Amino acid sequence: MKQISFFRFIQQGKSGIVTNRLLIPFLAFSLLLNSCDNFVDVDLPTSQLTASAVFQDKATANAAMVSIYAKMRDTGILSGNVSGLSNELGNYADELDYYGGISGTTRNFYNNSILASNTEIFSWWSSSYSQIYAANAIIEGVSASSILAKVDKDQLTGEALFVRSLLTFYLLNLYGDVPYITTTNYQLNKVAHRMPSSELYSHIISDLQLSASLLSDNYISSDRVRPNKSVAMALLARVYLYNSSWAEAADTASYLINNTGVYPWENNLEAIFLKESSTTIWQFMPRTDGQNTQEGETFIFTSGPPPTVALSDQLLNDFEIGDQRKIHWVKTITDGSDSWSHVNKYRQKSNTLGAMEYSVVFRLAEQYLIRGEARAQQGDLIGAKEDLNKIRNTAGLANTTALSKSDILTALLQERKVELFTEMGHRFFDLKRTNQLDAALTVVKPGWNTTDRLFPLPESEISLNPNLNPQNNGY
Amino acid sequence: MKNSSLINGSRTIVYSLILGLYLFLTPVLAYNGSNFLKLNLQTHQVSGTVTDSNGPLPGVTVTIKGTNTAVITDFDGKYQIAASPSATLVYSFMGYKTVSMPINALKTIDIVLQEDATTLQEVRINAGYYSVKESERTSSIARITAKDIEKQPVTNVLAAMQGRMAGVSITQNTGVSGGSFDIQIRGQNSLRADGNKPLYIIDGVPYASEALGSDLTGTVLPGGISPLNSINPGDIESIEVLKDADATAIYGSRGANGVVLVTTKKGKEGKTKFTTNVSTGFGKVTRLMDLMNTPQYLQMRKEAFVNDGIPYGYSDYDVNGTWDQKRYTDWQKTFIGGTAEFTDLQSSVSGGSSQTQFIINGNFHKETTVFPGDSNYKKGNIHSQLSHESENKKFRLTFSMGYTAQENNQPGIDITQQAILLPPNAPALYDAQGNLNWENSTWNNPLANLNGKYISRTNDLLVNSLLSYNILPHLIAETSIGFTDTRFDDSRTQPSTLYDPAYEVGSEYSSIYVNTTNRKSWIIEPQISWTKEFGKGKTEVLLGSTFQQQKTLQLVQEANGFSSNSLLYNLSSAFNVYDLLHEESVYKYQAFFGRVNFSWANQYILNFTARRDGSSRFGAQKQFSTFGAIGSAWLFSNANFIKYNLPFLSFGKLRASYGTTGNDQIGDYQFLDTYGSSGNNYGGVVGLEPTRLFNPNFGWETNKKLEFALETGFIQDRIFLTAGWYNNQSSNQLVGIPLPATTGFNSLQANLDATVQNRGIELTLRTINFQKQSFNWISSFNLTISRNKLLSFPNLKGSTYENQFVIGQPLNIKKVYHYTGIDPATGIYQFEDFNNDGVLTAAEDKRSIRDLNPKYFGGFQNTITYKNWQLDFLFQGVKQLNYSGSYTTGIPGTMTNQPATVVDRWQNSGDSALYQQYTTGVNGEAVSAFYNFYSSDAMIVDASYIRLKNLSLSYTVPQQWLKGINCRFVFQGQNLLTITSYRGADPESRFSSSLPPLKVFTTGIQLTF
Repeated sequence: MKQISFFRFIQQGKSGIVTNRLLIPFLAFSLLLNSCDNFVDVDLPTSQLTASAVFQDKATANAAMVSIYAKMRDTGILSGNVSGLSNELGNYADELDYYGGISGTTRNFYNNSILASNTEIFSWWSSSYSQIYAANAIIEGVSASSILAKVDKDQLTGEALFVRSLLTFYLLNLYGDVPYITTTNYQLNKVAHRMPSSELYSHIISDLQLSASLLSDNYISSDRVRPNKSVAMALLARVYLYNSSWAEAADTASYLINNTGVYPWENNLEAIFLKESSTTIWQFMPRTDGQNTQEGETFIFTSGPPPTVALSDQLLNDFEIGDQRKIHWVKTITDGSDSWSHVNKYRQKSNTLGAMEYSVVFRLAEQYLIRGEARAQQGDLIGAKEDLNKIRNTAGLANTTALSKSDILTALLQERKVELFTEMGHRFFDLKRTNQLDAALTVVKPGWNTTDRLFPLPESEISLNPNLNPQNNGY
Repeated sequence: MKNSSLINGSRTIVYSLILGLYLFLTPVLAYNGSNFLKLNLQTHQVSGTVTDSNGPLPGVTVTIKGTNTAVITDFDGKYQIAASPSATLVYSFMGYKTVSMPINALKTIDIVLQEDATTLQEVRINAGYYSVKESERTSSIARITAKDIEKQPVTNVLAAMQGRMAGVSITQNTGVSGGSFDIQIRGQNSLRADGNKPLYIIDGVPYASEALGSDLTGTVLPGGISPLNSINPGDIESIEVLKDADATAIYGSRGANGVVLVTTKKGKEGKTKFTTNVSTGFGKVTRLMDLMNTPQYLQMRKEAFVNDGIPYGYSDYDVNGTWDQKRYTDWQKTFIGGTAEFTDLQSSVSGGSSQTQFIINGNFHKETTVFPGDSNYKKGNIHSQLSHESENKKFRLTFSMGYTAQENNQPGIDITQQAILLPPNAPALYDAQGNLNWENSTWNNPLANLNGKYISRTNDLLVNSLLSYNILPHLIAETSIGFTDTRFDDSRTQPSTLYDPAYEVGSEYSSIYVNTTNRKSWIIEPQISWTKEFGKGKTEVLLGSTFQQQKTLQLVQEANGFSSNSLLYNLSSAFNVYDLLHEESVYKYQAFFGRVNFSWANQYILNFTARRDGSSRFGAQKQFSTFGAIGSAWLFSNANFIKYNLPFLSFGKLRASYGTTGNDQIGDYQFLDTYGSSGNNYGGVVGLEPTRLFNPNFGWETNKKLEFALETGFIQDRIFLTAGWYNNQSSNQLVGIPLPATTGFNSLQANLDATVQNRGIELTLRTINFQKQSFNWISSFNLTISRNKLLSFPNLKGSTYENQFVIGQPLNIKKVYHYTGIDPATGIYQFEDFNNDGVLTAAEDKRSIRDLNPKYFGGFQNTITYKNWQLDFLFQGVKQLNYSGSYTTGIPGTMTNQPATVVDRWQNSGDSALYQQYTTGVNGEAVSAFYNFYSSDAMIVDASYIRLKNLSLSYTVPQQWLKGINCRFVFQGQNLLTITSYRGADPESRFSSSLPPLKVFTTGIQLTF
């Protein structure tokens, strides 16, 4: 405040001649100069909250949580749009044929010509880690909150752990060893190392166990759009299966299958993907009222040739004669001479008055197939066939004729193909975990290489964080 | 303390408003005539009229030589003075040569004064917080005045500055009314493309330059909506652009990109004067692209099918016989070839006494567009100013107020792109009944796009008042108070009538985007200044402080599903309404500043400026920072040895300056750890998401500026040359530092130790070619040669900026493939494979660098007066590269029209041609070669141009014909002629799919009485 003393000096020095009248503006002036430094402090904008304030209120903490689901629905690997796994891995494996434009990343997937600079490869990676960041922020925010009730803390922490596990699980299966991110601290995260898959699996399993213990059995929302304990268990069953923990996989799947009060079986194929379906364990709520699924928008076409993708002949030929799924879940479009088919699990391409379908992430049929496989691997062939036949019978097919363990496992893999087609990359992941990618794809995909089983780490990630080296083989 | 200062501030505003109102109501006209000095009882009465080539000259000072007795000529140039018959009268007026005339007992002396360009050195230049005599200036300031502005039929002040200022590069983004301009003062300093705006100050009040709209609404206006549209160019007295450190350091953290000072017109002492200007005119697009006609187009299409070896498809309507192949329509002419009509009306009343002066200026402007339909842009504006000085000349008050209302009705999207792409044999726009023709759903009728509307409304208030008091003879205390209020809303509709009725989409598919922005700011700047002369020396000291606050509220909404298209503007009748953005931000700013100026013997001048700044845009530890500069000048022409030895040198000055400025254009709240709305609805809850990885420790960008300049005038300044060299270095760049995505984000806002250099030479040459009684010709020429360079950027390789920047190159570059020609055997484009790995990859092979900055630019202006005629013209030129015209037109051979040059294509083995073989899009190799061509150096071509930017011809009706009325006829033209080798539409346009700038002709009449 040098100015002030300067004015004092002037005022004192000239006091003899300065009249009162002159002093007033002087004083006013120095008053203005003397105002405090905190003039430039601003309050928070009304449209934003500090991170800590978000977790002092159940409503805002919930809003932070559902924002992650909205993002998973709209962007990244689980999204039903062209960028999601359903479409891209369908093209990458043998489920879909590509008819779209010359450029576009889907063509690269279809041709199995993925480069480390591929934009989708980066966007899957970055959107997943961005969602993991948000989940970690919730875990940290909730634990620091002094106001939230324990029941709410448990629910939110359980959901956030589930989200982190789910995304890490997919990253691990797409990219191989990946960093396991459990904090929001960017100083640590920017130099993260890749963690071996086995370690990742054990972290995912313990996170999911914790998540399942924190979550309640009830859905806290209508329409099963927020995860509950069963959702964490459904993922856990899948993780055990992928991790060859057969007994645990079977037990965990049984937890859901036996809960017939909440998840009664549905025999009507056309009802399985309706939003009220009793076999749905977790589904994404569409963005707006009356909007249906993005899968419907992506896959359904009404005239040929298809604008982007259609079901491949390999897939269509793999349906057994009489398989009702080929009738109810596939639709064929013809222009008179040629015909093309699209997946018709979701039947609504656009809005309806009140949404009819939501995007299903976990459904009961998969749990039967998990348990069947896990039982077969443990030698319980009768139990395995029971689970397999449950699915086959619903599709209007007779009981399986497979007898040996390996025949049953083959039949289960085939059943997964025709049951779970174009659902978030099941086909690719099944081939991958059973080491059958090369056998299945070399014939039908001229661009297939053994190293294509893992996607490259995004080029820019490796250059920004050299700890991620080495790049996956083949890239 | 905080509150008290604010209360003081608002009180002062209230007092000044009351005072202003009171004075406004005072019958100021009653003071008229009081400027005539009361006549003394002297022996001899002399009267007469003072005129110049244009007519009577009011305000000329007539002094009796050797005395303090003086009178001022009245509005008709008349004067009357009592003096001794043997005395000599001296007639002096700013900008005119002073004339001495012995009375010699004459009773009537009429004098014709000649304009004197050489007195420009006496003009006081506004430097913001202080003003300085042109000759004593230590800083680099470019200036234009009302004289230059009023010759141009433009609605945005930036348009009026184009080509007239060295070092100031201005580009028009679109020809659509109300569109924005890009301005760069001495190049791009910040790595952030949006961090390079200058600071605008209107009558002492900072004016936010951030664009007002939203991307969702203002689609038709690329580059946003310029807030400067709210200033009527006709209200402006002068625009000063502060460039170097000496001029800008006093603006501290906001001075890095230069400062644009706008000063509005003030009332002048004298009889009440009424002025009316009426003008009308029309505008056309400057240039259209030379496109294929139907035979050329159809030949291309048919050849493409032959090349690809495929038959015409069902939807190839242009060639498969569905559409008439004899039709030809020039779609550019149809869609953007219309004539825009311009109407402009300005009226002002001004006058006042020696103590109180006022001006009120009203303006109405309307322009239609070149698009079909009834789009138009309207602007109404009122500006008033009042100045008062107390009788003892100690207290002064200036109050000014401007209010502007604008309404812009445009199509929802710019249809220029469609005018270029549409096949020339596409069907008629209307059917026999006069309805839109959809030709059995074989095309999307482009006119349907006009059913989507863009409407914006802006209401702007700008109030400013300046109170000053002479405390002591050399000590002045003053306070400047300003207030702005901008209310802006715009909307864009997408009614169901955009679509083919065959699809049977009803109003349930109609939607609208609505944006509402309110921005308010106030500023209080108390200052104190002290001036003292002692012997040969002179000292000026200024101290002051600034308190400023700006509050912005923005709401962006989307609504869809209406029961009727006529309810589109009624959001309550929409099925869904979403709030996409609802944001309030506050920006607070506080500073102390000072200036000390010493001059000695009118020869040596030193100027120190400093500012200590605090801004709410930074975290607690980083809010305050200090900036400063030193400027110096040596007027060597005042040195005796020069005076005696170089008599032809009428003026000579060397000046140098060095200092620091800053840049805080980073947006508000960036340092906070917050959650904001994600806009994502999930289960009826709108999500909250972490806004950013937060870093509370980032600070200003700093910009160090160095300048040397030489100003020389020869032969009474008839030749005046200014040559300047500058070197600015911006460091501490505020950017998102790239982070791996495992952090959850791609970047962290922080100061990056990257340095950007802007270096250049600015030349201004002003010559008086003729200066005769009835014939005058003045030319001025400016040239800027500049070079932008990224000096350093830590860890550029591997960062997300790797593909954008190259160390040692300018910031505004494109890294592209190097095109090597067409393979004569295959007819496919070839590119250089820099790393010889057999494949073209963006990361490795985009190594050809093209600089899109202007290499040099300038203007050449002439003013010629002959008797009652005055002719002004300005040529503006830029040497630059830009994307070629074929950048927007897609693959040759597909169903889009192409530039006529595309006929020069490869057909047979061995051909050499400009373009590769045509393809319908199924030849994968040709298509990927096309996309590489698209991002190769072949697409970036010379887009240099010389443009007759402005021409103005006026004729003043001789005074004797219309007694008491000054009448002038004016013809004005803008962008009249463009000389260029560029083959796209307009070489200036950065947005090739947007409407090129218009050429405008207006004629008008100006009456003053």
